[in-house]
Amino acid sequence: MSLTLAPTAAETAYQGFALPHRRQEDWRWTDLRQLLDQAYPPTNGTKASAAEIDRLIATDALAPFARARLVFVDGAFDKARSKLPATGAITLEHLTHGAPPSSARGAYDDPLANLNDRFCRESLRLTVKAGTAEDAPIALVFVSTGHEAVTTCTRAQIIVEKGASATLLETHIGGAGAYVASSLIEASIGDDARLDRVKIAEDGQAAIHLASFHVKLGTQSSLNDFTLTQGAKATRQQTFATFTGQHSNIKVAGAYLLNGKQHADTKITVDHAVPHCTSRELFKCVMDDQARGIFQGKVVVRKDAQKTDGKQSSNALLLSETAEFDAKPELEIFADDVVCGHGATSGSLNDDYLFYLRARGIPEDEAKSLLIAAFASEAFDEVAHEAVREALGELTQGWLINRKPA
Amino acid sequence: MLEIKNLHASIEDENRAILNGINLTVNPGEVHAIMGPNGSGKSTLSYILSGREGYDVTDGEVLYKGQDLLEMSPDERAAKGVFLAFQYPIEIPGVATMQFLKVALNSQRKARGEGELSTPDFMRLVKEKSAALNISQEMLKRPVNVGFSGGEKKRAEILQMAVLEPSLCILDETDSGLDIDALKLVAEGVNKLRSPDRAMIVITHYQRLLDYIVPDQVHVLSKGRIVKSGGKELALELERNGYAEYVGDAA
Ligand SMILES: Nc1ncnc2c1ncn2[C@@H]1O[C@H](COP(=O)(O)OP(=O)(O)OP(=O)(O)O)[C@@H](O)[C@H]1O
Ligand SMILES: [Mg+2]
Repeated sequence: MSLTLAPTAAETAYQGFALPHRRQEDWRWTDLRQLLDQAYPPTNGTKASAAEIDRLIATDALAPFARARLVFVDGAFDKARSKLPATGAITLEHLTHGAPPSSARGAYDDPLANLNDRFCRESLRLTVKAGTAEDAPIALVFVSTGHEAVTTCTRAQIIVEKGASATLLETHIGGAGAYVASSLIEASIGDDARLDRVKIAEDGQAAIHLASFHVKLGTQSSLNDFTLTQGAKATRQQTFATFTGQHSNIKVAGAYLLNGKQHADTKITVDHAVPHCTSRELFKCVMDDQARGIFQGKVVVRKDAQKTDGKQSSNALLLSETAEFDAKPELEIFADDVVCGHGATSGSLNDDYLFYLRARGIPEDEAKSLLIAAFASEAFDEVAHEAVREALGELTQGWLINRKPA
Repeated sequence: MLEIKNLHASIEDENRAILNGINLTVNPGEVHAIMGPNGSGKSTLSYILSGREGYDVTDGEVLYKGQDLLEMSPDERAAKGVFLAFQYPIEIPGVATMQFLKVALNSQRKARGEGELSTPDFMRLVKEKSAALNISQEMLKRPVNVGFSGGEKKRAEILQMAVLEPSLCILDETDSGLDIDALKLVAEGVNKLRSPDRAMIVITHYQRLLDYIVPDQVHVLSKGRIVKSGGKELALELERNGYAEYVGDAA
């Protein structure tokens, strides 16, 4: 189908790579042929000044919590600005000769991963050694200066070996200029292992954020994943999670704080390939002005995956008449002894709540802010790291303060 | 303190009259009880006094401390001392009780030009007031009213009242759903707030509450109108004879 379409400027810059567009079912709300409105040639490395880069890095809300911090600037690993993990539990490899797909990548055809494969020049591989518990979070900081209208491709591979546990913090920040940030994270969680991941998507206001997260889980393992989507003009982020061992657990939570004409589309696929696994998805999406949020959650239960327990829910809070939310929950169930469910709600602020707060003397704007923060915080509750959870609350407060009419 | 003059009100968009000419004057220091059959308009009156949307005031006026109450926003009324203990307190998920109380108290103080209370002072205040009402610290850790039993919700309303120290307290069936011990605690809490510069409107179906909170006047509301007023003995008479006599009058 895409063959019949004349290549766009971006597709030409991508050497003929065909961008997904709205006539493809998964992409009906996010048409990359339209969104990538200029060439955005792929590059690696920055032309921004040191001061500009430092100024952007300083805005990383998760900086205080990480023991090791790995910084990328415009697609290139910036060792000087990074703080490498002390040797021991974690090994870090910097791969500079292309970036081979990891085994975490499922059989899914993921155009965003394909694009990243094609143009990513370097990547990091982090291995958390078997049996070690890394209590202090490891941070990945992806900075895009927006100095030029380019595409930067970054990727990291996380391997949590048998019996190990780790917390990964991931921040995406950027300057005001237009750019495309392509991010790929591939994670393998071994048997009896655990990975907590907290991602903050705060790219610049003219940015297009394209991200994929591929993760495989072994036996009796767990993934606790959270994403706050707040930045960028347009975001498409995808999670592909596959259970390969029994008695494992996935939680994927997220919150949107969108305003203006922001667009955010999250697509999550959880593949119950084996029996006795549990998955939970919870997204709390706040949209103001003409912002548009989309949540596509898909739970696949394979033929043998009996005793699967899979639930997903998305709740949208629309703060203006022109804000929009679309939810597309999908269940593909081939086993018969399973508990699966989904729920999607969408509505405005509850008038009864608002009146109760105001009747106690809380002014209208503040009452609204309290209720918006309360709504989003339900998703933050899934984050285990207390200080990080509080930082998410503060980011929400910052967003609310900007929202208030001066 | 409060002067309600010929108040007529209907439900917005429904054109259905609920209050049909209420006249009521409450002076500082007084406690007024309002009784009346289900659906007679007691809660509607309390909502209109506290500023809830969804009603059209078609005639009459309400003066509070000499000012036009109906012109004020709900938060403005609260800051000026109007408090409604709701008949059905709602649960607000995600809003922590302590944070809610603190924001409410400090918003009111700010609106009145008083300084904000520090966190330790605030904690001390809530601790003292909640102990008196037998409200556990565990309850205070939950979001506003979430998971509270019916009686716990009513006690929590009185805790809010004790912390906010309003001038005009409107209690809408605060006694319904309370066990005997809780009823005494709540009544004690209310009586503690009785003072020469504070007034109360106590809406109830049961004479029993008025044994604890002794009213200066009792009013019977029927079909949106006060059809009978009297002293505390009127409540006893209603308990014996019911509303039949007065309901007929109002028709
Ligand atoms: N939002 C509304 N829409 C339609 N009718 C309403 C609404 N609110 C109140 N009413 C009606 O107004 C009348 C008065 O209701 P109100 O709740 O004030 O009664 P009440 O005296 O408090 O009764 P109760 O003793 O049962 O609490 C009732 O007939 C009720 O059905
Ligand atoms: Mg009532």
